[in-house]
Amino acid sequence: MKQYAFRRLLQTIPLLFITSILLFTLINLAPGGPTAGGGQSRRMSPEKAEALRRQYGLDQPLPIRYLVWLVGNDWMKIDADGDGVAAESGIRRGVLRGDFGVSYQTRRPVLDEIVERLPNTLYLMAATLLVVALVAIPVGVISAIKQYSRFDIAVTTFSFMGQAIPEFWLGLILIIVFYGVLRNPVTGEPLLPAGGMYTVGTDFSVLDRLKHLVLPVTMGMVGWIAWYSRFLRSSMLDVIHKEYIQVARAKGAGLRRVYFKHALKNAAIPLVTILALDLPYIFAGSVYVELLFSWPGMGRLFYQAALRRDYPLLMAILVIVSALVMLFNLLADLVYGSLDPRVRYEREA
Amino acid sequence: MNQKPLARIVEGIISLLILFAFSACQPSRPQPVNEAGGTPVQEPNAEAPAPAEADDRIVIVIPEDPTAFNGIVSDTGYNQMVMELTLLSLAEIDPQGNVYPELASELPTMENGGVVVDDESEGMVVTWKLRQDVTWADGEPLTADDVIFTWEAIMDPEGGIWAEGADYTEKLEKVDDFTFRVHYHALYPGYLTQFGGENFAVFAAHYCDASEGFVNWNCNLNPLSSGPYVLDEWVNGDHLTFVRNPKYYEPGKPAIETIVIKIVPEKSVEKTMLLGGDADLIMWATEEAITEFEGKDQVAVSLSPTSRWVMRLFPNMAQRGSIDPKGSPHPSLSDREVRRAIRAAIDVNTIIQEIWHGYPKAVSTEFFRPPYVCDIPIPEFDPDQARTILENAGWVDTDQDGIRECNGCVSGTAGEQLALELTIYSEYGNELELTQQLIAEMLNEVGFKVELSMIEGGVMWGDAAGGGTEQNGDFDLDLWDDGYPGIDPTDYLRYLYYSESAEPDNGWNVMRWENPEFDSLLEQAYTLDENKRKELFCQMADILATELPIIPLFSVVNADAHSTRLQGVQSSINDLVTWNAADWTLVK
Repeated sequence: MKQYAFRRLLQTIPLLFITSILLFTLINLAPGGPTAGGGQSRRMSPEKAEALRRQYGLDQPLPIRYLVWLVGNDWMKIDADGDGVAAESGIRRGVLRGDFGVSYQTRRPVLDEIVERLPNTLYLMAATLLVVALVAIPVGVISAIKQYSRFDIAVTTFSFMGQAIPEFWLGLILIIVFYGVLRNPVTGEPLLPAGGMYTVGTDFSVLDRLKHLVLPVTMGMVGWIAWYSRFLRSSMLDVIHKEYIQVARAKGAGLRRVYFKHALKNAAIPLVTILALDLPYIFAGSVYVELLFSWPGMGRLFYQAALRRDYPLLMAILVIVSALVMLFNLLADLVYGSLDPRVRYEREA
Repeated sequence: MNQKPLARIVEGIISLLILFAFSACQPSRPQPVNEAGGTPVQEPNAEAPAPAEADDRIVIVIPEDPTAFNGIVSDTGYNQMVMELTLLSLAEIDPQGNVYPELASELPTMENGGVVVDDESEGMVVTWKLRQDVTWADGEPLTADDVIFTWEAIMDPEGGIWAEGADYTEKLEKVDDFTFRVHYHALYPGYLTQFGGENFAVFAAHYCDASEGFVNWNCNLNPLSSGPYVLDEWVNGDHLTFVRNPKYYEPGKPAIETIVIKIVPEKSVEKTMLLGGDADLIMWATEEAITEFEGKDQVAVSLSPTSRWVMRLFPNMAQRGSIDPKGSPHPSLSDREVRRAIRAAIDVNTIIQEIWHGYPKAVSTEFFRPPYVCDIPIPEFDPDQARTILENAGWVDTDQDGIRECNGCVSGTAGEQLALELTIYSEYGNELELTQQLIAEMLNEVGFKVELSMIEGGVMWGDAAGGGTEQNGDFDLDLWDDGYPGIDPTDYLRYLYYSESAEPDNGWNVMRWENPEFDSLLEQAYTLDENKRKELFCQMADILATELPIIPLFSVVNADAHSTRLQGVQSSINDLVTWNAADWTLVK
């Protein structure tokens, strides 16, 4: 197993490298660019655009730009003052030395921007995933045990609805109902806030935080609960009808022991892998939820960077998320291998 | 054997989730201001304020963070908005279009000797005198050194960027602490707002780190204030908090203690918050929003007395994909008669009433607002006239399918259909989409075949190398809103209509229009003789109205919506709505 893991890790490195080249090329070749204007003057004056292009390093050909992104330009001479002579040293050290560059928009180091937003996204997505796990697992299990009961049919219907409902529409409805229409019976203020992580200007309060979490988590979890509970239900159904469950029942094991000790543990193995594959998502964030509920997270950061063609920020987020996806993929495989003794990655001699 | 690992893994994942869930807990005090480097946090004069009373605090909602306290580095509009709250400039423009002094003690003119023209060298010298009672928030006086410092930082080839007036300015010369001279090597009519207006503000020489460069320095994210407010806190992506500047030079102002700017990306949520009382001001309310707010007691809308943005059609006079209007002219749009027919076929009044709720006004020329108003009659809506014009121009519907073909037309091949692609940009919103569809219908009525398309603004206005469709000539007819800022249209006209500006990445004459008469009139307009300028502009207006290189349609409204408890808000096309934030008050 260790050899397998090590081999996979080694394979990740060239894969990440190739991915970064592909991403870099795609981003830079897409039409539009950071000097496209769109502000008050709609279009950018040519002099300004030229100055910006030089500052962003966009006057270089694409392979050179990639090289600078990777290893920096402090070892080569660039034309920093636009006089046509490449006489000054660059200041970038490159990704391999930990320098992901500065954002085109705010001129702050890209990693600073990401580090600021990442906890907020983790906070929201972790809370969502927690609620999803707490709801989807029991629901899926009971649904399978009491197949075709009223509970099961109700849950199935809600699952399909949940997966079919457009997330964005649901979020808007939640805001209209809980912020626009319903009022807090005590204070007369809106029942739940329309967005944000906390009420600005007040001290920290758990209740305040929870109130701000309710709607975004509700919007994000509906689709997920539907998906996980259906998945667990079908996985459980698979396992329940296996022979070893019948044997356990025949040997006199109680229902609870059979379902939770024998059946669920086996049914949950694929679910754990699915969960592991979904984990990079909690770093990347949900753009819809963050846009609608003004949540200052990674999803919105990426979306706005994409609109403005903020290449360094885009590359950083994409590369980090790619690395996480590869890592969690590997983790999922390893976990699966350790849980299910029938799966072996090494060649038996 | 199977139980322990599974249980452990599940426990591990759940505890990881709980750990993440608490990772974003904020401490009870607001953080000190975010900054890029390790520069000292500027202390507000009061201690970090206790949560401000609701009656002394207003909330402004905007869809995205400003990128800097600097309108020159990036003119998103939000940048200028926060810049107006915290920084001052030499002269500003009021909503009516009059320039008034802010940091200057008086405006330099030829009459008071502030402007001296050198007839020999064709240059000029402008002398600015500053107020002597303005200080920065840390008590240091604001002097001519600060203005010169700011300009030189902008002009620095490595760390600076281009600003308006840069091409005409030779150097700045300090005379004394409160006086300085600007030497120009050519006549620059826009000199009054060069160190002011919407985008320019004076930065502090003793605080801003010039070694970082104008585009990167600490002041872009945490400026030293000279204006009515001081930045107290900036939680990126969430909100900015401003408190009043006790050292502000106007006594008794500002009246409002705290301004919170919240980032709310969704327009519908912004509107709901304004109606619900959680927001006090929304920037750039659309005609649709204004109609929604009608009749609501808690919301008022401030309209600008004049307009800037004119919705207009940009025809490509070169064949699509080419930039040479003479070598490969556009089969239909290169003919002036076709452009006239297009204008005659469009019922601007219906569009204004049905889609834009009656707020816009039909516009026929660039010179429709003070100080340069030229009397160009609004073209009439006359589809029959349009059909006649097209017939005479050689576009005849020979096969009776409703679409005209070239039959003796000037530049097309015989039998070619009168087909166009009408393109808009996606960021505007619903009204523009509906307008595009209605215009297409109207053009169809008179025999055009119109295809609709919508692209990102960044793709439409990108540079040639970046695939910008307009610079590359990769379009037929674009529909979007444009208009010159401030009171001086000369440079705007040059970018848009001058023949040399037709070269890709050299200007914005994407219509590829060449008119030597217009060129020479424009060159003469670089004079300080206002009467002469008015005359020249109206002559240019005549040419534009006859040749129709751009087809202006109507001007859109410029408005800001605010809660009724916030008084003093005045929308302006010459600046962002916070231009007079020092004068705002709250009614209890």
